[in-house]
Amino acid sequence: MTSMRGAWTRRLFLFTSLTVAAALGAPAAGHAQGAPPVVIASSEDVISLDPHLLDSNNPTGSVIWSIFDSLVRRAPDGSPVPRLATSWERVDDVTWRFKLRDDVTFTNGEPFNAEAVKVNFARMDTAPFNTLQQLHDQTGLKEVRVVDDYTIDLVTEAPTVNMLYWLAEAFIAAPKYITDTPPDEAAVKPVGSGPYKLGSWSRGDRLTLVANESYWGEQPSAKEVVFRAIPEMSSRINELKAGTVDVVVGITPDVAGEVTSDVSDVVMNEGLRKMHMGISLNGEQPALKDPKVRQALNHAVDVPLMIEQLLGGSTSQLTSIVNPPNNNPALKPFAYDPEKAKALLAEAGFADGFPLTIQYSTRFAGGKEVSEVVASFLEPLGITSTIEAVELGQFRKELSAASLKGIYFQGWAALINPSVELVILTCGHVDNSSGYCNPDYDKLVKEASQTLDDEKRKALEFQAQEIVWNDAPWLYLWRLPNVFGISKRVAYDFRADNYLEPYLITVK
Amino acid sequence: MSRYLAKRLFMAVLVLFGVSFATFIVGHLTGDPVALMAPENAPQEAKDELRRHLGLDQPLLTQYARFVGRALTGDLGHSFVQGTSVAGLVAERLPATLQLAFAGFVLSLLIAIPLGIIVALKRNTVWDFVVTALAMVGQSAPGFWIGLMLIAVFAVELRLLPVSGYGGFAYLVLPAITLALQSAARLTRLVRASMLEVLGADYVRTARSKGLRERAVLVVHTLRNAMIPVVTMAGLEFAELVSGAFITETIFAWPGVGRLAVTAVYQRDFPLVQGVVLFAAFAFVLINLLVDLLYVAIDPRVKLA
Repeated sequence: MTSMRGAWTRRLFLFTSLTVAAALGAPAAGHAQGAPPVVIASSEDVISLDPHLLDSNNPTGSVIWSIFDSLVRRAPDGSPVPRLATSWERVDDVTWRFKLRDDVTFTNGEPFNAEAVKVNFARMDTAPFNTLQQLHDQTGLKEVRVVDDYTIDLVTEAPTVNMLYWLAEAFIAAPKYITDTPPDEAAVKPVGSGPYKLGSWSRGDRLTLVANESYWGEQPSAKEVVFRAIPEMSSRINELKAGTVDVVVGITPDVAGEVTSDVSDVVMNEGLRKMHMGISLNGEQPALKDPKVRQALNHAVDVPLMIEQLLGGSTSQLTSIVNPPNNNPALKPFAYDPEKAKALLAEAGFADGFPLTIQYSTRFAGGKEVSEVVASFLEPLGITSTIEAVELGQFRKELSAASLKGIYFQGWAALINPSVELVILTCGHVDNSSGYCNPDYDKLVKEASQTLDDEKRKALEFQAQEIVWNDAPWLYLWRLPNVFGISKRVAYDFRADNYLEPYLITVK
Repeated sequence: MSRYLAKRLFMAVLVLFGVSFATFIVGHLTGDPVALMAPENAPQEAKDELRRHLGLDQPLLTQYARFVGRALTGDLGHSFVQGTSVAGLVAERLPATLQLAFAGFVLSLLIAIPLGIIVALKRNTVWDFVVTALAMVGQSAPGFWIGLMLIAVFAVELRLLPVSGYGGFAYLVLPAITLALQSAARLTRLVRASMLEVLGADYVRTARSKGLRERAVLVVHTLRNAMIPVVTMAGLEFAELVSGAFITETIFAWPGVGRLAVTAVYQRDFPLVQGVVLFAAFAFVLINLLVDLLYVAIDPRVKLA
């Protein structure tokens, strides 16, 4: 009996040590040759590697930006930087001319030239790509004219100020390959000319990029980059602390403090998403149609206090519906002033307040807390709130239909493009979920979008910003703060729009 | 036997039909995938075009008929969001799911059966009390909590095992233990209760009074009879594991069917939802059939007809 037990103990011990050895061996094996890859952890998986099905900034967008090139790159502040195009000029009101690089080949050996641009733009304008690609819709692009091998003209229906902005998301794939390959296959085997090419992809787990040795630009510091999908936030943070992940995307401000460790730091920046309580003008509370009531709501809520208490002071208050640096600097946030709010309500004939429904979805963290705090600020005005959580799919549906009940927590337009940011609040626009409509505003926005003179356009945009700000279709809150985690062995300057450019990561 | 199997297969087809119809109708009533898929500032025409492209502009029953027609030829359609074939997407996730399900299931049996038997035999001792209490805790502790604790200790503090992800054996250890602990807690209590019931039965008393050795009484007379409810329960547990352990998969970033299913529901990716639900239904039907066949092996009194 004793010997039996001894044998079992030994076997158990052997098993345990094997387990531990295997455990220790497995992660180390991946690092056997060269420097370890830079690992980026996001909550979601890459969806498709078809450059013309790009639909989210990270991780899908980050990977597309790494494998493919566009004519221009969008710098973090929204300005255009040369990429496959070396320079551009406006030939006339509706024609843009681009000079192209002549030293670029795709990873399958096809050369890059004006014809490649034409083929790709044509593909983007066919179903299903045209439902996601906005180049043609947003710029009115109607013709792509090949001038010579390395010069191309883009002709639009009307003058547009948005060409360069949307070109940054129009990616160029190897033209013959993308034409001859079935979409199913193109979506998993990308051929581009960017700084990286695809190493391997196991869906739901990880995608590996390796440096493209024939890249026309500077070789990236990180030779191998792994995008991992780790849906649970605490697991992403734990990976960072365990030293197995280098960059973590998608952390909520309330746990930012947990990110810092002996191997990692937390990085915060102000995102581009303008968080607000949308005010539904055609919902169940007719009082909201009155601009005075909407201004009263804005005066009733102490937004700086909310930023301090709910977000640890990690972001700043909205000062316009247009993101900096294009905002009208003359506009100031509505001051927290309950007395003024009461007076405005009385002027509008609602001295005793009214019932109001506050809705939120799971799309943005903290919806419940924000709704509750706003409700408590509105209570002294006699506005009695009912708070409702709405499932995301349903919420999106009601946003499109502009049929939300009262006010609702939402973040809109993660863009740096005044023209596109303003157009969202024009009458009947598909994203105008509050149902706001002011013809004077629409006129200014339309005029601005076709004014090519920078100074004149800016003046029109400033005027439009002022009108909509005071009409208050939103209860203005703050810019959504982005929180990232980064390991001490790499350096990277995070963008506000959440695109991640691995070719700009430096391995120390 | 073959008649029995034919009957069961026929029933299985009916079940799959019912399940697919219910998911189809309920799914389509819950929201519009186009609102979730199209970019925030896409114009209305683009959204309408997308709806047409996906066939969502057709009446619901037409869409269902089209789905069934294709499914009968083995084509489950293409994912709205990812564009690739649904069967391919489910098949891609299958190895990870089966690995985790088998590992978790075997581990839970290895814990639950010996432990259940021992505490049944040592009823009302300290051991019985401790194990039963632990099983209660295991059963009531949420899976995500167990998972997070394991990660905190073994991956972050001791750095013995990876935090999350899919790879070699090392990656399997923590998620398998997380699943096994929950399932073992349920099964241990069942094994104990079932053993106690059988130990008190007349035929066990008879066996003992015949002067059989205790080991023979246990193995031949008690264990076999006590296993029937355990097999039923274990079968259900296993079917649940095979159809995807969403929470555990999420915490450990395990690329399994559970995560695929939940993401598909959130995105209103109807073809993919259909695909994973059909797969799960099929797994339940198949495992239930295996359990029934197992009854015959365990208990000769059971006749299938």
